[in-house]
Amino acid sequence: MSGYPPPPETIRGRVAWIFGDDFDVDLIIGVENIKYYDADVLRGVTMQAYDPEFVDKVEPGDVIVGGRNFGYGHPHYPPLVALRNLGVSAVIADSFSPGFWRGETYNGMPLITAPGISEHVSRWDPVEVDWRRARVTLPTTGTTLEGTPPSERVTKIIEAGGSLRLLLAEHRR
Amino acid sequence: MPQTITEKILARAGGVDSVRPGQNLPFRPDHMIAYDFPGYTDAMFRQMHEDFGITELAEPERYLVFIDHMLTKGDDKERDIHKVTREWCDFYGITLHEAEGIGHQVAAELGYALPGRFLIHFDGHVSGLGAFGALGWGVRRDLLEAWVSGQLYLDVPASVRFDLTGEFRPGVDNRDLIHAIIGQLGADGCAHQVMEFGGPGAEAMSIDRRQGLCGMAMFTGAVSAIFNPDRAALEYAAGVARGPYEPVASDPDAEYSSRHTFDLSAIEPQVVLPGSARSANTRGVSELDRTAVTKAFIGSCASGRIEDIRDAAQLLDGRKVAAGVELNVVPTSAEIHRQAEQEGLLDVLRGAGANIHTSSCDFCFGYQKPLQPGEKCISTGVLNISGRMGSTASEIYMGSASTVAASAITGWISDPREVTES
Repeated sequence: MSGYPPPPETIRGRVAWIFGDDFDVDLIIGVENIKYYDADVLRGVTMQAYDPEFVDKVEPGDVIVGGRNFGYGHPHYPPLVALRNLGVSAVIADSFSPGFWRGETYNGMPLITAPGISEHVSRWDPVEVDWRRARVTLPTTGTTLEGTPPSERVTKIIEAGGSLRLLLAEHRR
Repeated sequence: MPQTITEKILARAGGVDSVRPGQNLPFRPDHMIAYDFPGYTDAMFRQMHEDFGITELAEPERYLVFIDHMLTKGDDKERDIHKVTREWCDFYGITLHEAEGIGHQVAAELGYALPGRFLIHFDGHVSGLGAFGALGWGVRRDLLEAWVSGQLYLDVPASVRFDLTGEFRPGVDNRDLIHAIIGQLGADGCAHQVMEFGGPGAEAMSIDRRQGLCGMAMFTGAVSAIFNPDRAALEYAAGVARGPYEPVASDPDAEYSSRHTFDLSAIEPQVVLPGSARSANTRGVSELDRTAVTKAFIGSCASGRIEDIRDAAQLLDGRKVAAGVELNVVPTSAEIHRQAEQEGLLDVLRGAGANIHTSSCDFCFGYQKPLQPGEKCISTGVLNISGRMGSTASEIYMGSASTVAASAITGWISDPREVTES
């Protein structure tokens, strides 16, 4: 649950979905399912309200795009576990809700704050993410968005595959 | 360099002369707080012991655990959860407060939340301790970082200054203010920042109201909220303090990312529609055209304090809870429960047909008397997402204790000022 393989230097994939402002991530799997961690159960409920074939279409390296304040609400962890299980490698948003940002950074998910992203992409656009520099390139249009780079500490967390792994490396006795 | 109260508290906790927004540094909280909840505390203790190999804490006095959830069924599962927590706290020498009320309130009553102190919790409503000039920050799973290392890395937040003028009119309180702020600034209006309240309206606001206001900070996107300690906060602190503390306050020329003025006397009762506290769901109570309710709840870390109970009792004195409505009142702590009993408030509420319950978090998260499909509840709880208080097919509206009490009397969501006049 806590921690994933660290991402490559550049994440390459497609925009698998674009959510709007103030998006509540619990809706990714439905509020009835927010306590489940079982991979098969999660697969069966992921994105059902948006695209029932999403789980078959998404590929490793794909990313999710959000608008302003992505992760607003009372975010639970399973929705992003479900997306990670499918290979979703990063979330790029105009901005992130602080609670969501903190919880998913702990889990090692690269969260790229790139204002304007939600207006620059269409579904399935190819995308390249230099996550250390928060630089998002859209090869189709030649657009590059520069976001806010992660702090040195957050970079270490992502490199380690999540906070727990970093903390274990630093503090295990 | 002029500093905000938040920057001063963090500078001390970071062991540096000053900090500026955007810096990422390790900070040493004065208290690192958790409530026991399956999957949280039991997992953290197990990780500390088994994964990190920590068998002894250098400073156990900085750790604090509350048992305030899952207290009302009395079944084996509950007993087991609390037993595990007690055993771990005993093992590590951590102070445990059990069934004394909601931790975010008890932490104040027992003198942990003192002016100038920095406290973290995995739960974001610890921001309510900002009422005392302390900085309370909900850090989610990062609490583990602090528990295993004594410190945690945080981005120094900028502050948004709220200059409050005037005073709340009868029937209007902090709950209406926070939703009015969200309505005006949006659900990310203070994102990643600290809300700082000041001005004559802040000084005129009671400690109870300040706690309720600061405790809801997360719904503006803020990481915390704080009042500069004034005489009221310092007097409270002096009466309960455990150990030394250093009150600090914002310099007059401190820098804020933005400033907003709110006239408290112009705030109207607010109601939040089911779903979330986002601005699109925020309404003046008069817009809720006789929305019928079956349940009414006064309690949670954002309400249920003595002033909330006084407000409810004042409205319900000589009146009755409407047929078909169940009003549940949960004082925020055992201490508040005792005070409300002494003042005769609970007798008034009982006489009106309300149910009074022992202090805990259990109503607010749907554990105690969960809402059934089709039910509509008007609540002072902190959250109204689908399924929060029970069935995902029930609906939760949120408002102040006065609005909840007024609605319990009429049977539909009502303006407390109209009930008073009737």
